[in-house]
Order: sequence, then C-alpha cells, then structure tokens
Amino acid sequence: MRLSTIAACVAVVFCTSTFVAAPAWAQDPAPAAGETKSDKKTEDKWVALTGGDIYTGTGEMLRGATILGKNGKIEAIGYDLEIPKDAKVHKVDGMRVYPGLVAISSQGLLGNAGGEFDDTIDPFNSRMVLGLAAGITTTGAGSAAVKLKRFTVDGAVVNERLYSVFSWSGRNPRTKSELREKFAEAARYVREFREWERKVKEQKDLPEPKKSGVDGTVLSVLRGETLAKFNASDRDDLLGIARLAQEYGFRPVIEGCQEGWTVADELGRAGARVILTARDRRSKDEQQVAAGGTSIENAAILHKSGCMVSVTPPTEGVDLGGLEGRDIRMLTIEAGFAVRGGLPDKAGLEAITIVPARIMGISHRVGSLEVGKDFDVLVTDGDILHYKTYVQWAFVDGRMAYDKEKELFYAHIRPRPQAELKVDAGETPRGDAPKEGETKEEKPEDKKDDKPDDKPEEKPEEKKDEKKEDKKD
Amino acid sequence: MRAELGPADQGVAIHCAKALTVDGEDRIFAPATILVKNNKIVYVGARATPPQGYEVLDASGLWASPGMVELHSHIHSGGFGDTNDMVVPINCDFRAMTALRPGNPLIRRACAGGVTTLYGIPGSGTSMSGFGLIYKSKVDATFEECVVAEVGGLKVAQSYNPERGAGDLGQTRAGLSWILEDAADRAKTLRASGVEDLAHENLGKVMTRELPVLIHCAGSDGFAAAARMWQVKYGTRCVLSHGCFDAHATAPYIVGAGAPVNAGPRTVDVFSTRDGRITGTAAKYLAAGAKDLSLNTDSPVMPQEELFLQGAMSARYGADDYLMLRGCTIAPARVFGLDDRVGSLEVGKDADIVLHNGSPLDPRARVERVYIDGVLQYDRQRDGQWF
Amino acid sequence: MKKMKLHTTIALVAAISAPTFAGETMAIRVGRAETVTKGVIEHAVILVEDGKIVVVGEDLPVERGIPVLDRPEWTVVPGFVNCYSRLGCDSEGGDDNSPDVMTSDELWPKAAAYKEVVTYGVTTLGLYPAGNGISGQAVAVRPLGDTVEEMLLKDGSYVKIAMRSDSPSKRRISDAFKKIAEYDEKVAKAREKFDKDKKGGSKKEEKPEEKKAFDPAQDAKPEEKDAKKDDGFVPPDADAKLRPWLEMRVGAKRGLVTLGTAADYLHFMDALGTNEFAYDLRLVLQRESDLWYVLDKKTYELDVDGIGDKKLRCVVEPLLTVTQGTMRTRNLPHELHRAGAKVVFIPRNDSLPDHKAWLPHVGEVVNAGLPSDVALRAMTLEAAEVLGVADRVGSIEKGKDANLVFLTGSPFEATSKIAAVMLDGEFVHGEVNQ
Repeated sequence: MRLSTIAACVAVVFCTSTFVAAPAWAQDPAPAAGETKSDKKTEDKWVALTGGDIYTGTGEMLRGATILGKNGKIEAIGYDLEIPKDAKVHKVDGMRVYPGLVAISSQGLLGNAGGEFDDTIDPFNSRMVLGLAAGITTTGAGSAAVKLKRFTVDGAVVNERLYSVFSWSGRNPRTKSELREKFAEAARYVREFREWERKVKEQKDLPEPKKSGVDGTVLSVLRGETLAKFNASDRDDLLGIARLAQEYGFRPVIEGCQEGWTVADELGRAGARVILTARDRRSKDEQQVAAGGTSIENAAILHKSGCMVSVTPPTEGVDLGGLEGRDIRMLTIEAGFAVRGGLPDKAGLEAITIVPARIMGISHRVGSLEVGKDFDVLVTDGDILHYKTYVQWAFVDGRMAYDKEKELFYAHIRPRPQAELKVDAGETPRGDAPKEGETKEEKPEDKKDDKPDDKPEEKPEEKKDEKKEDKKD
Repeated sequence: MRAELGPADQGVAIHCAKALTVDGEDRIFAPATILVKNNKIVYVGARATPPQGYEVLDASGLWASPGMVELHSHIHSGGFGDTNDMVVPINCDFRAMTALRPGNPLIRRACAGGVTTLYGIPGSGTSMSGFGLIYKSKVDATFEECVVAEVGGLKVAQSYNPERGAGDLGQTRAGLSWILEDAADRAKTLRASGVEDLAHENLGKVMTRELPVLIHCAGSDGFAAAARMWQVKYGTRCVLSHGCFDAHATAPYIVGAGAPVNAGPRTVDVFSTRDGRITGTAAKYLAAGAKDLSLNTDSPVMPQEELFLQGAMSARYGADDYLMLRGCTIAPARVFGLDDRVGSLEVGKDADIVLHNGSPLDPRARVERVYIDGVLQYDRQRDGQWF
Repeated sequence: MKKMKLHTTIALVAAISAPTFAGETMAIRVGRAETVTKGVIEHAVILVEDGKIVVVGEDLPVERGIPVLDRPEWTVVPGFVNCYSRLGCDSEGGDDNSPDVMTSDELWPKAAAYKEVVTYGVTTLGLYPAGNGISGQAVAVRPLGDTVEEMLLKDGSYVKIAMRSDSPSKRRISDAFKKIAEYDEKVAKAREKFDKDKKGGSKKEEKPEEKKAFDPAQDAKPEEKDAKKDDGFVPPDADAKLRPWLEMRVGAKRGLVTLGTAADYLHFMDALGTNEFAYDLRLVLQRESDLWYVLDKKTYELDVDGIGDKKLRCVVEPLLTVTQGTMRTRNLPHELHRAGAKVVFIPRNDSLPDHKAWLPHVGEVVNAGLPSDVALRAMTLEAAEVLGVADRVGSIEKGKDANLVFLTGSPFEATSKIAAVMLDGEFVHGEVNQ
C-alpha cells in the first residue's frame, strides 16, 4: 500500500525565464547536498620533458632535447624551446624519450570493458597500469582503437571501427568462392555506379544502378571505407588473399600470416598489412613441396617485400602466471625477436608504434613523436627494445599516467636514484592511524632532519609491513 | 704447445669480437681468439695468431660464449609424450635414454638457440620416474655420437604432480614422502649389504653420491621438503628444480641447507607475496646467497631455444645479467658434475661454442654459429635461420 | 507491482519484563548520553513523554511523581538506523526502470526478523526495492507494528538507482534527464498558454482536473502552499516514472546510487553531466575496493569532483579493505570521512547475525582510526538523512522519537553490551527495573 496524502498544491519559483508555479518536485533545481559546479576555466595545460634523448619514432634522435606538450598535443620538439611558466616540467636527463607503444591487439588492459568502451572502460584497473608499464598507450581492442587513459572515462576511444573481418582459410572452398562472388558483385556495382555518375549529368532521368544483392561490407572495403581483415597463416590461403586483394584493389590486413615469408613478394604486391608473432612456431606441412612452416625471419622478409609489419606477442592478455616474456607486457620483447630474425632496429620499433597506428587508421594521432600529434610519450632508462629497460614514466594525452616508482609492480626493481615508494595516504597500518584532533603535521623541515636526502625512504615502510604480516602469521 | 696440429688433427681458429669465457675467473677477452683442436678447446684468450694448419674463421663482429646447459628438459623424444609410465609411483629402474630421438626438430632448434648440453628426463607424473640421459644437441648424429651419459641422474618428483588420484598410496604428501623414502632406504640398505639388485642399482648410486638427482619441486612446501629429504637427510647430490610460485619464500632455508636451485620455468611470482610487487624468483635466490643458481625452461613448457630468455627475464626482474649467463652455462654444469667437460670456454673442455651477433641474453642478438665438440652444427648463413 | 507476503510465519514475541510507559511520562537518568547532535552529556537526564523526547540535559531535577529509571552505569545512544535492508521482504524486482515501484507494497509486518533486529538496537529500518537498475522507492519503517500503518515512518523514501560501468546504466540516467527536459518544455508551453488565457480573462476550467491528476510530494512545506495560491497555475501531469525524478531534482526526494568501483563513479558522473539531483551513494565495499581513487579530485587529477569534494553521503559496510593485490590495509570508511564525505554504516551483510554484530563490526573500523563520534553518527543520524527521516529519528534531542539504545559502556568498546532498547518511548528489549 502507499500513503497517498494528497498534498495541497504547492508553488514555487520555477527555473524557466518566466515565473511559473509548480509542485514540489518541479521546484527550481537547487544544488543537492553540497554539490557545486566548479567554474571550468579552460586554461592551457603545458607539459615539458627536458634533457632526454628523444627518439621520435620517425628515425630521428635528438640528444638532450625538449618535448613540449600543450593540452594533450605535442606543441614542439627541439632545443632552446620557450617553456611557459605554468608548464609541468620533468627533467629526464640521461633518459630516453619514445612515442607511446601501440598494441595492435590486447585483452584486459581496459578492465572488463567491451563493446561501447566509452561506457565501460575501467581507468583504475591494475591491468591498465601493467599495460602502461609495458609502454602501451594505445591498443586495439576488438574492432576499436582505445587509449590507456587513467583516471578518466573521457576520450579514450580513438577509432571505433577498424576492420571488417572476412574468412579466407580452411579447407572448405565454398566460403572462399562465395566471398569472391561478393567481391565480384560489389565491384560490378561500383563500376556501374561510376558509369551512371558520369552519364547522369547528361541523361538526368537515368535510373541509379540497383544496390540490392550487393554485400554492404564488401562494398565498404572496395570504397576504402573500411579495412578487410583476414585471419590466415597457410601459404595457399595467403596467396588466395593476395590475389583477391590485387584483383579488386584493396589492401588486406592479415593476422597470423605464419607462412607469409614463403609468399612475401605476392603479399608485398598486394600491399598487405600484416599482424604477426615473431616467435610463432609451426612445423612445415610435410606433404607440401614448397617451403612452409614458421620462420623467425618472417617479419624481416615481409618487411623487405614492402608489407607493413606489426607484431603482437604470443599471449595478448596479461599473464601473471610466472612464465614470463610471452604476454602483452612484453610487446617490446616480441619486437626484439622480429629484430633477431633480421628486421632492422628501426622497423622493429615501428612494428609496435607507427605501423599498428597506420593499420588502425590512427597514425595522425599516435605512433610517433611529431608536432600536432597526441602527447603520448614514454621515458625509459634505456633502449626500449632491451630486455632490462623499464618505462619510468608514461604520458597519455599530456598527462602522466604511469610512474614506475609510484606503482607497486616494478618500483622495487632498480629504483630510480632518490625515488621513494610511498605508501598511499589511505594505507595507514592498523592502530597507527592518526586519530582525529591529533593529526600529525609533518613539517618538511622535520623530515629533512630525520632522513638524509640521498637515502630512499622506502625502507621504514617496508619494515612496518613485514611486522604486520608477522603478527598475522 | 698443445695447440700445434699433428698430421691427423683438425683445427679451427675463431677470431671474435668478444669471448665470454664464464670460467672461474669470469674472464672476458675482447677481441679474442679461440683455438679448437679436434673436439677440445686448446686456447682461449686475447687475439692471437693461430699456428699453422688451422682453419681460420673471422668472426670479428661476433661474441663467443659457451654452449648453454639445460638441466630440465623433455624434448629428447621430440616433444611431450614418452614422459611417464603412470602405473606405479616408483620407476627407479627406468631410463629415458631409450626415448631419445637424436637430432629431432626440437633438438635442432635448441642447438640453433645455443643450447648444446641437455639433461633429458622423464616427467613428474610419478614419484621416481626414472633416470635421465645427458646428451648434446647435435643436429645430425647417432645415439653414440650425441649421448654424454646414458644414465645421467635420477628424476624425482617431490610433489605438485605425482599425487595419485585413484585412491592408491601417494594421494597425500605424507604418502608421497613415504614412497620416496621407502625406495631410497631400500636402495641404501641393499647397496650397503652388497646385494646385487638391478632394480635398485642406479638408485643406490644416487644414495652414494655417484649420480646426481634432479628433484621436481614447486611451491614452498614441496621445495623445503625436498631439501630436507635429499640434501639434509640423505646427503645426495640433489638439485632442486622449479622453485616456482611461493617457493622463493624458503630461499634462506634452501640456501642454508646447501641445496642447489635450478629455477624455472616460471621466473616471477606475483601472487604469493601479496605485496603488490612482481618478484623475480632468481633475484630472491641470489639475495639469499644461492651459489650456482641455474635456470631451466622445462621444455617444451618454455621453448628449449629460449633458455637464454629465462636469463634475460630473471635479469629484468633484478638478478645480475652475468650471473644469469652463468645460470645457463657453468652453474648447471657444476651442480651436475659436468663442468669438467662443458659450461665454459676453457682449455681442455669440449669445444661447444656459440657465436652471437650480440649479448647471448638479448633476444635481438641472433645465433650465427654453433659448434659442438668442435664440429660446426649450425651456421645461419649456410642453413638459413632456424631461430 | 510487488506481491504481498502470502506465506505465514510464527512471529516471535520478544519477552519484555520491563514496565512500559507508552502515553505516559518518564525520566531516564544515565551515566552518559551520546546524543549525536548535542554532544556528549554526562549524568544525563532524558524526559520521555508520549513516545517523544521532551527534555535532554545534564543532571536535571525530575519532578516528583514522574517515574525515574536510574542507571548511572549505562550509556545511552540514539536507536540505530539501518537505511539499507531487505529484511522481511521477498519480492524479486522487475523492470530495470521502475522508479515508481514502492517497497511499502511488499511490507509484511509479521516478519520475525523485525522483532529480532530491535533487540540489536535497530529501531529504524530502510527497506529498499529489489531488482536491477532503477528498481523503485525505499520505505522507512519502525521494525515493530502489527499493521503496515503502524510500521510506516516514511513511504517513498530514497529511489534506488544501481549504477555500473555499462551503457544501460548510463542511458537510464541520461534518459531521465532527457525526459525532464521534455517535461520542462511542456510546462513552459502550458505556462505560456495559462498566462495568455489569464490575460484574456478566460476560465480556468482545467485547474481542478489537473489537481487530481497528479500527486505531488507529500511533505510539501506550508510556505510553498502560499506561493501556490498567488498564481493558480498547475503544471501538466507528469509520467509516474518521471515524477520521482522531478522530486529528486528539487531535493524533495533523494536517490541512492549504488556503485561498486571507482570506474562506476566516473561513469555515473559522465552520465550525469551538468545535470543535478539530490542523491546519496551506496558504495559496495569489497576487500580490494578501488574506490579510494575517487575520494578527491586533486590526488589523481580527476576531471570531476571526488566523492569527498562533493561531501556526498556514502552508505558503506563497516569493513577494512586492502590495496589491490596486497595485504596493505585501508580504512576506506575513514578515508571517506577524511576526504569530506559523510559516512553511513549498514551491517556487513543483510543477515540477522550481521545485525547482531553490527556494533562490534563498526568497532573494528573505529579501532582502525575512524573517530567514534563519526561512527555513531554513521549508524544513526546520517542513516536517517538517507531515509529522509532525520527530523524524527537519529539523535537524542527534544522533539524526536524516543528511540534509545542503552549500553553497558562506551558504544565501540568490545566489552559493551546492549542492556535495553527503547522504541517510541517503550522498552522493547532488556531487563529494566526501577
């Protein structure tokens, strides 16, 4: 049952410009419980990294240079730049500066997000931190390209629709012939449409060619509106795709491409964009006379033939099971294996930066350090493809999204000089919490007396933790 | 000078950019020359002119390092399968050597990855799964040509796999321990009393330290139990293999007991410490003072040719690079008593030499040539790149 | 609409050995009163008349003839308010967008649980509607009474809005404000017409009709009534699903938005945009909760104000959490308080054992740092605010319902026990001898 007290009619000032009487629930919207709108003055946000060796990802290196960001975009790269006073300046002397890495595909870095990433992304999940720690600032996720933006749900999606996926593999020839027919049909329509476009200028009443029966997805591929993506690794399939692509004039994206090195010239002629795992291992089909199976040289050979080559590790998710060196966190190691197979160093870096960005159609924003592009920047303590190199800081859209010393995962490994691992303010060990009223005010001077500057402050905290666990045991 | 060639001798002189000897003094020569006479190294040191008759290889852009040694490998038969007879828990009279397929594709790739000596063992499905063999990864060889020791050592599975689920003996850790100790005690007694018993012959040799024993043990409980049984109680030449998951928590005890650790295939632990940190296990063993820490791939769990990557990953997580190179070469050779023949570039040792175009731990540096017993097994330019 | 309870249960009758004073006057003299609103009063005297508190003070003289309960060893605190419960309710919920569903429709006074929670000091319950999404309106009840009317404190309390990081959740919020905007437009047009008609001296025939057509907020304030008379315009009727939103927009009703993660909060803010309405948060604390990321705007440079910046009221379990993947303890309730949020506690689980252990559970959070006065307020007055019944319950002050919990010591001391419970001036639990 419901209390249906018929309240007497109520009137108050209503919010529209005219004065309107209204019942209680239609009053002037008053701010509820302390909610206040903050005045959003859009001031320019500047960020600068100074003194690092800047590897732009386009083949250039500027030693001891500065990269300046404004409102999330790269404003300038070079020497003697004028840095605005209110810029956040990070001195990174002796470090290297790279473009944020682009994982062509990954799982889990965006939380449990799926489909509509703007509505589902979890910018606080720990896998995103691990992704950034691996240098990844943009990832392909399903058919979208999404940035690893922390602490915000705004503007993470860079490209919502990357590919149309087609099947061209397996022993069943029917799917292949059907697809070929679809391409033929769509190509015929495109021809007829062009013809009509030309003629309709003179014959105004000429009917437009009929679209029915034409596969919309195939048509969008032929019109260059979407990329056709295939999952294929067998030599025969790859040849088939290359022929199809050349016949109908589109550039296929081929994922897998294990035997690509055996038909590299064909794939190169078709302008294939390849997503491969350098370490894939598969033995040759003994029945086949021609070369086959996988080769560590796959990436190098395809690259030499003119294909765009991007690499992806054996495991595209985060695997913390302990079998290290094979998951998405080791994207750079996979690029390293491609280099092992003969891919030039530069192309090795490109295979995890600008090439995947190009394949995903987002190279105007990410994939290299160039003025006007997004300020997605890594600072590392060494060559990014080296197995011991750590990302020290990662910036996404001009904002620091990762600091090795501030996240627990890797902070203890070769800590930066003077770096301190601070326990988060909320983590007050039991009993040690300052009671209200007796808040310990830490004066900066006191601190200095206690701890010499050159010693990392990490240790006292660690000890506390250990004690705590001991008690529990 | 021993380096002089006689009329019937074969000689190879390798001039390289750098020789990582991994010897007792950790000498590194750059540039270096290595002389190989017949199957042995007769000179390793600073760049020198070889005596007459040597075939000279100019590898002046390359680094030389000893062939790597793997103590935990199941690729001798060409992959999984042929690992365990699951009928009874004690199979101490079994020998893995019968399963060897010399030069199988996995062995060939191991060779191309610079792994030249392997301890091929049965699986961990039973408590004592048999005796492993020690062989070299020669790409085209007969059994006799590649086997170093037909009976190289025993394989024991302490726990985390040999548990028997059918309700028979060995369902619990207590049962598993009893099974192992019962067999060990019997072998010990038989040997002491001089009774000939073929089934226990080799096990007896383990008990008297004539043969080493590799123990599959993962997790802190199994790891400590293995050290207690095989190192402290029986005093065997045991090597504790795996030491994954939370086993690194026992590192001080294991090191204190003097049991050598063969870490892998997991190189990090994330979940057991609950401190939010990714812990490099090798770094933890080293911090506890572990000597002769060796690494494994448990191939094909991790590909055999990626043994170096186990070292690279361990280094990434805090262990010293050079110690990790030792962990893939001389350390495993020492703990298994193979250091008189393999594991370092030293005069008198087998000429197992790997030439890389960079650091042996760097995935980007490819293996250019591999010599085993002085014979060129793999040449990237000649054979194409296998890995 | 919800089904009424059909099955029967034998109601447990709490044995009250103490004399009751309903409709009478009595004085209570205790060692200490933690009033929540008026501070701590030592040697407190509380005068109760007709179920209400009429006087509270220190060492007041008591008129002869008024019965006095003298317990200097006791501490008295306001009756506890659990604003988020499903005790005694069993409907399953339906449509994901049903803000018009009333939990009072499934209220079943005979549920045994009610009699039991009273003995644990819970004198007010907020029962929320089952279901996902926007599942309906809660009801505030006194957990004793033979009829729905006797139990009812406030019907149409908060509107429960479940928020997750997904499109449907966000769409429900943005759609509501779209509907509001449409309605506003409709009102503006009607107003225009009304003004025109008025000028033209036309009759206001529609007025009485429209008056019947909708049911505005029941607790309309008198001064608003006056304002109404001046004009005579009555806005057009609003859809039943829209009405609660219109009320929430002006603060005549509150929403209770349930969130599980920090991401949920940002997605909620995103869905809300520049729109505003009156709401509190129900933060579902899990062991590895990451909600500490969104306490304030500054620490992690959020695009939006944090929970603390907005001084939001947060309904949470008395639970200590850990930083993800670690054993590092966090006291999230305390962190919320320190950030400026208002903490509201509910039992850890909606079970009777957790109601019984409610006080010690809150004690654990107090022991880990949360000030005890904040903790007590979180179990009483703040919870009453969530339910919109803070004018009647939640503190010991003049004019409020005499809902009192008598303890043998300080509320969060481990040794303290509940000695007696008073509900509307009646002892409903405990051995009380004068």
